[in-house]
Amino acid sequence: MNRALPEMLNCMNAPGTIIAGNCTDMTVMERQRDRMKWQKCDHHDQQQQQIQYNFGGSELGGVFSLPIHAQGFHGFLGGNPAVKPDPSSENRWAELGFGSCGLVLNNNGTAGLEEMGNVLNNNISKTFSCSPAVAAEKRSSDTVLSQKLSLPAGKESFKKRKADEVQSNKAATAESDSTEKRMKSCAEEGDSKITEQISTKNNNKESSADTSRDNSKASEVQKPDYIHVRARRGQATDSHSLAERVRREKISERMKYLQDLVPGCNKITGKAGMLEEIINYVQSLQRQVEFLSMKLAAVNPRLDFNIDDLFAKEMFPTCGANFQTIGMSSEMTNSAYLQLNPMQRLASCGLDMGLNSTDLALRRTISAPGSIPEPFLDTSCFTQDQPTAIWDADLQNIFNVEFQQGRSSFQSQPFTGSIEGSNLKMEM
Amino acid sequence: MRNFSSCCIKQEFLKKWIKGLQVCNSSTTCSKNKMTNLDRKKAIKLSADIAMASTRNGTTRWSNAVIANATHSNGDNNRIFFERILGGGDGGGRHCPEHCGRTKASRSVSSVMHKKILKKSRRVCSRTVLGRKHNLAKTHSIAKKLVRKKTQVLKSLVPGGESMDELSLVVETLDYIVSLRTQVEVMRCLATTAELINGT
Repeated sequence: MNRALPEMLNCMNAPGTIIAGNCTDMTVMERQRDRMKWQKCDHHDQQQQQIQYNFGGSELGGVFSLPIHAQGFHGFLGGNPAVKPDPSSENRWAELGFGSCGLVLNNNGTAGLEEMGNVLNNNISKTFSCSPAVAAEKRSSDTVLSQKLSLPAGKESFKKRKADEVQSNKAATAESDSTEKRMKSCAEEGDSKITEQISTKNNNKESSADTSRDNSKASEVQKPDYIHVRARRGQATDSHSLAERVRREKISERMKYLQDLVPGCNKITGKAGMLEEIINYVQSLQRQVEFLSMKLAAVNPRLDFNIDDLFAKEMFPTCGANFQTIGMSSEMTNSAYLQLNPMQRLASCGLDMGLNSTDLALRRTISAPGSIPEPFLDTSCFTQDQPTAIWDADLQNIFNVEFQQGRSSFQSQPFTGSIEGSNLKMEM
Repeated sequence: MRNFSSCCIKQEFLKKWIKGLQVCNSSTTCSKNKMTNLDRKKAIKLSADIAMASTRNGTTRWSNAVIANATHSNGDNNRIFFERILGGGDGGGRHCPEHCGRTKASRSVSSVMHKKILKKSRRVCSRTVLGRKHNLAKTHSIAKKLVRKKTQVLKSLVPGGESMDELSLVVETLDYIVSLRTQVEVMRCLATTAELINGT
């Protein structure tokens, strides 16, 4: 980076322009410069950049405190929006998730322009709004361009960008959102202001000559996933606070979801209170799991045949032979039941086990015992047996019914099921 | 639609859970140990937790942390146990534990550092502010402290939460709550039916 500094100074000196700006600017500039070089800027562009350097330097004057936005700056420097940013920085931005943070750190590099606008012109006609919707959008080029336009600061560099922005805006309108369109309309207004304010600088012609090239480049290289954040009026616009704001908004968004999830959180607004509720809820759920597992352990003397015990005793009172087969090839049979009963029944919201299990039992006994040894947890067995269709139909009915009736009504059904089961026992 | 997907999750969870229980039982019968209630409860809970975590297929941090904790705590003996339970979802689960462990360690160091920095800044803040500003800053710092405390507690609750930043913590908590809920529902159903059937 240091080596670029003297080079830059030389360049700046060459056209006889005034070198403005502090060393801090230079470091930013030189980084931008380096990037430019890497990305094969046009020589013509470079000239432009050099000239525009000065403006940027004079205006920036310590506004920028960002170390890693060279990517965005290169565009500012050279007005070369087509230049591809380093993929590494891209990725970093993607990770951070908030891309430009209102500094519009994209290939077009309007970040500098916005800052300049703020610095120069306190009476910002457009209130920048940092809407999360916008932030969530990762279409850099559109928003960037419109943001560029919205800056009322009169710099000839603006004009250059304005032209190519207009063009790329037209190209991008197809994909733009309503928010973007709004911004663009604002940008159009700002556009006219920019044209008014554009002072008599030398490079108007040059910039207009450049725009066509820039436009083509801009249209070719559409920048990826930056989240654009606009700073609200009267709020700090440096990247850190913007980034924080984005982060905070994301967090609050997620907290809203949590509010819906955790019962009784609707009234609470503060973060601490919300967290308290969430903690309580998670603790209660975990305790419930512990309790239920203890209960299951107590209820069943044997572990893996939990389900089998539940169903086998009930399901096969009629067929002694079946029972024996169950006893001998218990694993297989039980697996079949496991497959059918728990998943089909428990999978539904309520538990209609009693009623259907007895049906199941009867049908199972009807079907040949040979079909019992089925592969463990093999859903294909559903197709093998004839009664499966009936079960499925049953399940569908249950499904529908359950949703209508709710859970409480099904508490009664298991009782009826068990009664039927006991009746069956009696019969045999 | 949502109900259907939650039912799918329940199905999947149940499948894996029962698989785990079967494996557990087979392993215990092999070793010919009589399981106490507590052991059974532990096995049930463990298999339920692992089943729940594996339904996420390694997409969430907390699920990876659960699997990692389970595999590490039980040693190599039960590696087969876990593999059989996790089945297809094992690929993600197995790779992630190592990652989790490493990132956990590295991040805990940074979090400790952050805490130190925060403490320092808080001390400085409380010292330098005067008058009304002082009070305001005080209440603000107290509120922040509270939030931070709560966040710490939440981090301790959610598996693998220590190494998460706020945003991901909130996201993970969301997911964790949803899966805990389904777990509780399925277990409750099972418990009630078991009770009913055994009781009659």
